[in-house]
Amino acid sequence: MTVPLMRCEACAAVWQFARALCPDCGGRKVESFLADGAGTVFSATHVRRSPAPEWEVEGGYGIALVTLDAGARVMVRGPIDLAIDERVTVGEDERGLVATRGDPT
Amino acid sequence: MPSSHLVGVAVTRYGKHPGLGPLELMEQAAIAALDDAGLERDEIDGLITGYATTLPHYMMGTVVCERLGLKPRHAHEVRTGGATGAMAIVLATHLIKAGAARKVLVVAGENRLTGQSRDDAVKTLATVGHPVHEVPLGASIPAYYALLAARYLHETGAREEELAALAVLMRRHAAAHPDAQLRQPITVQDVMTSKPVASPLKLLDCCPISDGAAAIIVSAEPGAKAAIQVIGTGEAHTHQHVSEMPDDLGLGAKIASGRALEAAGRRPADMQLLGIYDSFTPTLAIFLEALGFSGRGQAGRDAAAGAFNLTGPLPLNPHGGLLSFGHPGVAGFMAHVVEVVRQMRGEAGPTQARPASSAFLHADGGVLSSHVSLVLERVT
Repeated sequence: MTVPLMRCEACAAVWQFARALCPDCGGRKVESFLADGAGTVFSATHVRRSPAPEWEVEGGYGIALVTLDAGARVMVRGPIDLAIDERVTVGEDERGLVATRGDPT
Repeated sequence: MPSSHLVGVAVTRYGKHPGLGPLELMEQAAIAALDDAGLERDEIDGLITGYATTLPHYMMGTVVCERLGLKPRHAHEVRTGGATGAMAIVLATHLIKAGAARKVLVVAGENRLTGQSRDDAVKTLATVGHPVHEVPLGASIPAYYALLAARYLHETGAREEELAALAVLMRRHAAAHPDAQLRQPITVQDVMTSKPVASPLKLLDCCPISDGAAAIIVSAEPGAKAAIQVIGTGEAHTHQHVSEMPDDLGLGAKIASGRALEAAGRRPADMQLLGIYDSFTPTLAIFLEALGFSGRGQAGRDAAAGAFNLTGPLPLNPHGGLLSFGHPGVAGFMAHVVEVVRQMRGEAGPTQARPASSAFLHADGGVLSSHVSLVLERVT
């Protein structure tokens, strides 16, 4: 399981959102790479009501912020009962990033 | 250099105003603010307005000028989410300092509740998130704030019941205010058993959606009433999306308030009255603690102990805040400013606390993204 991220050649900062300048040092040599999906839950919520009917799920769904071991923090879908500090593995599906419980196998 | 005073304030009733659009509501508030200041329309030489989700025009500044018949030397629209009204006051003080205007009308309002379906409102507001990496996951405004709330509770050891105490306090204040949207008293138990929205947030941890408008006139000269001067302003813009939020949830509030207090030459302990943005109970707790008005994890306990009551040492949002007075978008936090000015004048009626000579105001837009702090003082 991998997550597309960006990094700065000059200062090695790692982040998710597309941009041409390093958010930390302003360096202009930035590149995309695929990071390992291992990470730790920074925060998590069980959403009971979706902002759009097409995303409504019976019983709700989980949204979490995960701090990847690679260095970036990313938002993911996941189980409804994820706990802060729990280890997860982040990968991608058709709607974006999704977390499963536990370290990569 | 000219100083800036808040000389005219007005707010409509918040709640449902069926049939009235943003311009009708803003018109009502603007006329009432002129009357409050004892000013004629043509004395206004600057206008700053906000956006309205129910009237997404891209030239709201001149739309509002045309409606009111204003021909100001300066007019424009500001967009910094929930901080927009506070930002407009900051910009008005800059215009006045620069000599670009002498009397600036700040006005905003919309029919956010009755002018669209609730689903449309929730969907529109969710787009404050990242269009690629957040919104498609099904994240909503309550979900973004729920992530903050869960982290806040985890880091501080505070309990959900303690956050609920802040909602109870806002409702108790609103119960005394005739223009508030939600006036039925509630208990901690009511908050805890209200419908789950996005854990740990329940319905009563969240502000309502409202119709309403507010207007504030910022002037280089004090007006006919008690002179309420803006003695310090500060901003911080730490991120837009919650995915890139700093680890310290209170960082933006600390930076903005530090700048405002330094400009004012005051400390948090000098403040006698608070108007703090309270879109959700955790927003209020994070701010009260970051701003230095409560210890870490103590905001809810302080509220339950009476620290922020009208008769307490540091009254907080005496009108009931966004949580109970209501939240029609840009005008939402402007009602905090209106209430604080009325309190400082001693004109707050049923919600009047001991008239404060100093007050601190703080608002954020986005998800703790854009921050504005204001320090006000009654001068003689």
